[in-house]
Amino acid sequence: MSAFQGIQPDPSMIGRLVKPAFCLVPDPAPLFAARAARFRALAPGHDLAPYLSFLAGLCEAQAALAAALPPLAPPPAGQLQRARDNTMPPLDRAGIAEDPVLAETARRFLDAIGDLDMPAPAAAALDDLRRSDGAELKRMLANVLADAMPAETLPQHLFLAAAVQLHMARAAATLDAKALLPLAPGVCPVCGGPPVASMVVGRQGAEGARYAACACCNSQWNEVRIKCLACGSTKGVGYQSPEGEEMPVVKAECCDSCQSWVKIFYQDKNPSLETVADDVASLGLDLMMQPTKYRRAGFDPFLVGY
Amino acid sequence: MNMELSRRGFMKAAGAGVAATSLGAMGFGGAEAAVIAHVRPMKLASTTETRNTCTYCSVACGIIMYSKGDVRKGERAELVHVEGDADHPTNLGTLCPKGAALKDFVRAETRLRQPMHRRPGSDRFEPISWDAALDRIARLMKDDRDANFLASNADGVPVNRWATTGMLAASATTNETAWATFKVAKTLGIVGFDNQARV
Repeated sequence: MSAFQGIQPDPSMIGRLVKPAFCLVPDPAPLFAARAARFRALAPGHDLAPYLSFLAGLCEAQAALAAALPPLAPPPAGQLQRARDNTMPPLDRAGIAEDPVLAETARRFLDAIGDLDMPAPAAAALDDLRRSDGAELKRMLANVLADAMPAETLPQHLFLAAAVQLHMARAAATLDAKALLPLAPGVCPVCGGPPVASMVVGRQGAEGARYAACACCNSQWNEVRIKCLACGSTKGVGYQSPEGEEMPVVKAECCDSCQSWVKIFYQDKNPSLETVADDVASLGLDLMMQPTKYRRAGFDPFLVGY
Repeated sequence: MNMELSRRGFMKAAGAGVAATSLGAMGFGGAEAAVIAHVRPMKLASTTETRNTCTYCSVACGIIMYSKGDVRKGERAELVHVEGDADHPTNLGTLCPKGAALKDFVRAETRLRQPMHRRPGSDRFEPISWDAALDRIARLMKDDRDANFLASNADGVPVNRWATTGMLAASATTNETAWATFKVAKTLGIVGFDNQARV
């Protein structure tokens, strides 16, 4: 089962040149289940084992709810057309922040993760969230949808970011991927958000193509390789990776034009890679990049502050 | 452009030096410290990926060349891998067997790096300077053309025909180079001639 919609085996295209799809909208339940499985697989023996196992638990809750919740209605046709006409993302984040279904989904998600094993600060934040009133919850959900993670309530926002990922992935799943248009370099064509990282894929029909993965709605979109995902420049792009690896599968794509970097994964070399799970698991690269002149431009609510 | 800058500004404004990382704030500081200790002795290495065009034939497939080391940072770049460029409209990431073997072609010990000359009767190639090589080629072409050029055919019709010398031109050319190559060869009357302008 694939974590994205519309990928069907097609033996007739073997040996033909096929242009890779521009955008893949998620199939939420298998997507989160695959991510949870990757977190579980990465955890044993890893320095971050407790955190990876905890995030596996969050993703399992996301997967279970994605399977259990009734499908969302697609955005109104007028809104989709307006977005197309004005090169805007079809999912309106500010509007979604007001959606009572989002708040309800968040409540259900917070209930579902109540039994997870977690450290005291996380448990206190979860407790705080579950006791928060509707207005407070809505304010924090709006922060998450604006990709703003206030430092003093970071744990609360991290939990809500997981709930927002769930809701946005379900909203993205209602869209027709073929109708989506590129908005700007490094901007999700579904929700307008920044990418977690990008991934060079090896699947049939898209071998060697690079897809950026949205940190919020979990859509993936095709971006030209050797291009900065923060500023769109193709000049002065270089790569950094830990010394001694012959063919590294995780690299920092660094841009000398805007001095930022975004992780790039090579799924064509290692098919097990998953953008969000492997982004967290490759925290070491973030730490090694900290003393350099480049700033991290990939956004991951599970890896804020690096 | 994405929102990284504004987000970073917000983080700075909101969190004055507190444990503003996801791991620290959630109580996973111990795991974070383990990773910090793990990577402390490790170093980063520069690598590059460079777009280029395959030199083999006039199809001009896009390739991505992976190198260890970054010339822009004053390092020596060593080619480690070549693959098709999936973004290139001509080949969409595919390569023929010759293109797929480009790395061995680039790194071959027998790769031609300067003009080489095998003297008549010799069993080996020896280096020769460009000037000497071009002078010798011009001399031999002139002598051969003077001896064998046909200005008219058996029926007496005027022709421009030099059938005793052939020319094979390379593929890594632009349209303009191919045009000029063709003009030079055909003006001289060379009949046995192949270059990318034919393809």
